[in-house]
Amino acid sequence: MITIKHDGCIFCVGCSSVCPASAIEAVGTRMKTYPEKCIDCGLCVKVCPANVICLYKGVKDEKDLPAGAR
Amino acid sequence: MSSKFDHDVIVIGGGPAGSSFARVAAGAGLDVLVVDKRKEIGVPVRCGEGLGSLEILKQGFVLPRACYSIEIEGAKVYAPNGKSITWRGEDTAGWVLERKVFDKWLCELAIEKGARVHTYTRAVGVVKDEKGRPQGVKVSHGGKEPYEISAPLIVSAEGMESMIARELGFKTVHSLYDVDTCYEYEMKPYNHENLIELYFGNEAAPRGYVWIFPKADKKANVGIGVGGLVQNGTKQGGIKGADPKTLLDAFVKKDEQLKDASTLLDFGGVISVGSPIDEFTRDNCMVIGTAAKQVDPIHGGGIGLAIDTGIMAAGTAIKAHERKDFSKNMLMEYETVWRRQKSPTLANRLKLRKILEKVSDDDLNHIFNTLNKEDLQKVMSSDFAPVAMKVLAGRPQLLAVLRGLMS
Ligand SMILES: Cc1cc2nc3c(=O)[nH]c(=O)nc-3n(C[C@H](O)[C@H](O)[C@H](O)COP(=O)(O)OP(=O)(O)OC[C@H]3O[C@@H](n4cnc5c(N)ncnc54)[C@H](O)[C@@H]3O)c2cc1C
Ligand code: SF4
Ligand code: SF4
Repeated sequence: MITIKHDGCIFCVGCSSVCPASAIEAVGTRMKTYPEKCIDCGLCVKVCPANVICLYKGVKDEKDLPAGAR
Repeated sequence: MSSKFDHDVIVIGGGPAGSSFARVAAGAGLDVLVVDKRKEIGVPVRCGEGLGSLEILKQGFVLPRACYSIEIEGAKVYAPNGKSITWRGEDTAGWVLERKVFDKWLCELAIEKGARVHTYTRAVGVVKDEKGRPQGVKVSHGGKEPYEISAPLIVSAEGMESMIARELGFKTVHSLYDVDTCYEYEMKPYNHENLIELYFGNEAAPRGYVWIFPKADKKANVGIGVGGLVQNGTKQGGIKGADPKTLLDAFVKKDEQLKDASTLLDFGGVISVGSPIDEFTRDNCMVIGTAAKQVDPIHGGGIGLAIDTGIMAAGTAIKAHERKDFSKNMLMEYETVWRRQKSPTLANRLKLRKILEKVSDDDLNHIFNTLNKEDLQKVMSSDFAPVAMKVLAGRPQLLAVLRGLMS
C-alpha cells in the first residue's frame, strides 16, 4: 500500500491518473487511497510532482505500517 | 418525461468537454444532467491557462472579458543556449485565461440551454442492465450514501482521472512514458511583452519544457513539465534530481526577473502527451476530452480539443436520441468523424515529440540556429520534410534521429 503526506500534496490527481488498479481517487479535497486494491507497482510514487507518496510493499492495512509511516 | 429513465444523458465532469457537450445536447431539447465532484466548477485550477484564439473563434464564441487575464500576441521560444525565436501571428495568438471564470462560464452556457448541473456530486459506479450495458450511474453528493440515477447514455468527461470511464471498459489509465509531470507557480511581479515564453532543453526540463504564461497585474504562470519516466532521481530509473519542483526552482533562481519574484500559488498536475485511447464509444456510453486523452502531444494542451469534441459528440448524441439507438454502432459516428478530423495532425505532433526527446541540447541549439519563422510555421503545420532537410544539411549526423520526419 501507499501513504500520502497530505500536507505536501498539491491535489493534482497525477497519481490517480496513472494508477493501473484504481487504488487512488480525488474525493472531496483530498486524495483517498484504497489499500485493498493497490498492487504495489510504484507508478504513483514516480509520477508525484510533490514527492509525497511512499510505497510500503506487501503492507495491506494501515495498522501494519512501520512506526512513523502514517 | 415519459421514458423509464431519469434523464436522456448523464455527463460526468463539468470541465470544458462536459459543459460543451451539455450545452449543445440540452440546446437540442435533451434532458441533460451534469455531475461534477468538485465543490465549485473550475476550482482548483490545474492548468497553465493558455488557449489559442483560433480554437475558440471557429466555434463562434465571443469570450467575455472576465474569462481571460490578458490577450497574447504570439510566442517566444528559447533554445537551450538562450537564443530565442519570436513569433507573432494568428496561429500563436490567444489568451491566458482565468480558467476558474472560463470553466464556470462554459457551464453556465449549458445551464442557460436547459442542462442541469450538480456540483460536489461524485460518480462512484456504473449501473448496468442484465446484458451488462450501462443504464445509469451511482452518485454520492458530498460523500453521503450513494444513490442511482438512470439514463440511456453516459458520457465520461472526467479529465485525467477517468475512473468511471475505466469501469465502463475504456483503457484510460495513463502510462508514465506518455505523461509529463508538472509543477507550476503563479508569480509576481513579472514584466512581459504579451508573449507566451517557452524554454526547451534537457537540462532545464528533460523531455518537456518550461513555460511562462503572463497574466494581468504583472503576474505570470511559471510552470514546468518533465517526462514521466525521467522524473524523480531519488526513485528508480529517473534522472537524479529531475523532479519538476527542483527543476522549476532552479530555473526561477537563474532568471533575472523571476529570482526576486514572489509566489502566489503552488500547484501542479500531470498532463497527457500520448495518443488518444483506442476506442471512444461503447454501447450506451462515450468518452470525451482529456479523459479520452484527446490532447496535443507536444504541450499537453487540451482545452480547445475538449470543447470541439464536446460539440462533436453532442451532435451524435442528438441523433442517437432521435433514433432511440444508443448502440456502439450509432455512437461510433462521433469517433469516426473525430479521428478523420483530428488524428492526422495529432499523430504528426506525436511523431515530432518522440523525435524531440531524442535530440541533445547541442543538436537543439543547432536546429534553432538553422530555423527561421517560416520553418517553424512548416513544423507547426506538419510539413516536416523540407525543414528536416535544412537541418541535416548542417548536421548530417542527425539523420538517424530525423529520418522519421522525412517520409
Ligand atoms: C499543469 C497543467 C497545465 C495545463 N496547461 C494547459 C494549457 O495551458 N492549455 C491547455 O489547453 N490545456 C492545458 N492543460 C490541460 C487542460 O487542463 C485539460 O486538457 C482540460 O482541462 C480538459 O478538459 P476536460 O473537460 O476534458 O477535463 P477537465 O477540465 O479535467 O474536467 C473534468 C471534470 O470531471 C470531474 N470529475 C472527474 N471524475 C469525476 C467523477 N467520478 N464524478 C464526478 N465528476 C468527476 C472533475 O472534477 C473535473 O471537473 C493543462 C493541464 C495541467 C495538469
Ligand atoms: S503503488 Fe501502483 S497500484 Fe498502488 S496506489 Fe500506487 S499506482 Fe496504484
Ligand atoms: S500525485 Fe502527489 S501531489 Fe499529486 S495528488 Fe497525488 S499525492 Fe498529491
